[in-house]
Amino acid sequence: MQLDKQPVWKTILYPLIAFLLVIGIWWVSVIAYDIPRYVMPSPGDVWAHILDDHVALWIGFRVTFKEFIIGFVLGAFSGFAMAVAMDASKTVRGVLYPILIFSQAVPIIAISAALTIWLGFGLAPKLVIVALVVFFPVVVNVLDGLRSVDADLLRLARSMGGNTWSIFRHVKMPATLTPLFSALKLSATFSVTGAVIAEWSASTSGGIGAYLMQANSRLNTSGTFAAIAYLALLGLVAFVLVIAVEHLLTPWRHKPTVPRWSSRFWRN
Amino acid sequence: MPETPIPKLKLSGVSRSFDENLALAPTDIEISEGEFICVVGPSGCGKSTMFNIIAGVLQPSAGRVALDGRDITGKAGEVGYMLQKDLLLPWRTVLDNICLGAILHGRTTRKQRAEGVALANRYGLGDFINHYPAALSGGMRQRVALMRTLAMHRDVLLLDEPFGALDSMTRMAMQKWLLSVWAAEKRTVVFVTHDIDEAIFLADRVVVMSPRPGRIRDILPVTLPRPRGRDVYTSKEFLHLKDQIMTYIYDDGEATDAA
Ligand SMILES: Nc1ncnc2c1ncn2[C@@H]1O[C@H](COP(=O)(O)OP(=O)(O)O)[C@@H](O)[C@H]1O
Ligand SMILES: [Mg+2]
Repeated sequence: MQLDKQPVWKTILYPLIAFLLVIGIWWVSVIAYDIPRYVMPSPGDVWAHILDDHVALWIGFRVTFKEFIIGFVLGAFSGFAMAVAMDASKTVRGVLYPILIFSQAVPIIAISAALTIWLGFGLAPKLVIVALVVFFPVVVNVLDGLRSVDADLLRLARSMGGNTWSIFRHVKMPATLTPLFSALKLSATFSVTGAVIAEWSASTSGGIGAYLMQANSRLNTSGTFAAIAYLALLGLVAFVLVIAVEHLLTPWRHKPTVPRWSSRFWRN
Repeated sequence: MPETPIPKLKLSGVSRSFDENLALAPTDIEISEGEFICVVGPSGCGKSTMFNIIAGVLQPSAGRVALDGRDITGKAGEVGYMLQKDLLLPWRTVLDNICLGAILHGRTTRKQRAEGVALANRYGLGDFINHYPAALSGGMRQRVALMRTLAMHRDVLLLDEPFGALDSMTRMAMQKWLLSVWAAEKRTVVFVTHDIDEAIFLADRVVVMSPRPGRIRDILPVTLPRPRGRDVYTSKEFLHLKDQIMTYIYDDGEATDAA
């Protein structure tokens, strides 16, 4: 976690400068080359559109965020459970691994179309798509984490009288946190993409993906760019959220002592 | 009923094969209460195999392990066990790592944790109970690992090359520290090491093992007076024992391999 090594103001300032730089170059180019608004709006045009239509955009943001967050948590938990099952039983592992790999070969957009037929136009197909995006990396990483726990550590825990459950709870499960979160960080922005793709297959939900498609079909370029900006924001929120939860759940990776608020902190 | 007192730990005909290979030939040994036994021998001579069997995490192919005359073959949780790797849980504090035995048996009580704190205070880690292991030096981590073993309240401690990964100066300090802990806690210790000096410095008896198949070559009593200081390294008895052990290890070894 290099992010923690530098002061907070630096971690915020540098990306902010980069962001403003991109906006600046964009703006200057649009003016300098006299690009028509329907081809490429300036940041000012996009901002004006956002001010104009912020209610609809905000509703869309909330809809897509809801699809993302529920699907993400669902995918993370079911992926974790799958990894535990595959770790516990050789048979389960042998049967499921090929299916898992095979399922990855099917493009998500194809699954999305099929899901709309089976699950309709509501929230359900979106959740499934987002969950599927998270599911695979979580299964692979958590399974890897479970299987790479030091055999000597497991032997030691057994010699101390630990049973299968307590060893899982206190030794194996915490060891999966680091690989779990690297999978979650990787798939956070991808799962926002998943939500958008799902909205395109069944665009009655009113999310940002649906908004983008409508604006695009009306050649409303400012609207398209406003939707893109909101999606970028959503991706950022998703990523930061995962990092924040990781930070909270793995204090040992960035602190020398247990936080004082923790129940594990010993006071005399 | 028995004429002689029941040994604290007794191995009768304990052996173990992996596939066709005999890792440990039938082994017998009796260890008395409060004894400090060191086991030396080249790697691959079955030392860890023997420990895993005593600790109950590996089934012997044949033979019995008895603690206070009670059969504990294949039963885990009867003796304390510590390895060369400290195997501390990085996500737990020093205190929680010391109390790991209790944690694995359910929840820790405040009394158990207070006991862990007392242990840390007594052995010089009182200021680090709320630290994560990553913040400690190698020597400190091994001390935590030993405290974790002590906190289990088992009469017999199996230490498998516990100081093998430490630099020689830290190791010397740890040896003296271990002897003081042993004197204070009055436990029975079985200690595996590669280091012949370490074995003689620590032990009441040195068990010398040979490979292919792993077996006990000889058991040598060490009568050097305790407490032992640096001067024992140059004493006549020390040098004599060292010579004898080297003869067992190197002369036997030359016949079978060049390493
Ligand atoms: N789980 C295992 N499977 C197969 N062979 C093993 C296993 N554990 C140990 N052995 C073999 O048994 C022999 C003794 O190993 P070990 O007890 O670890 O020796 P030591 O601790 O004295 O170095 C070695 O030849 C080793 O390769
Ligand atoms: Mg060994």
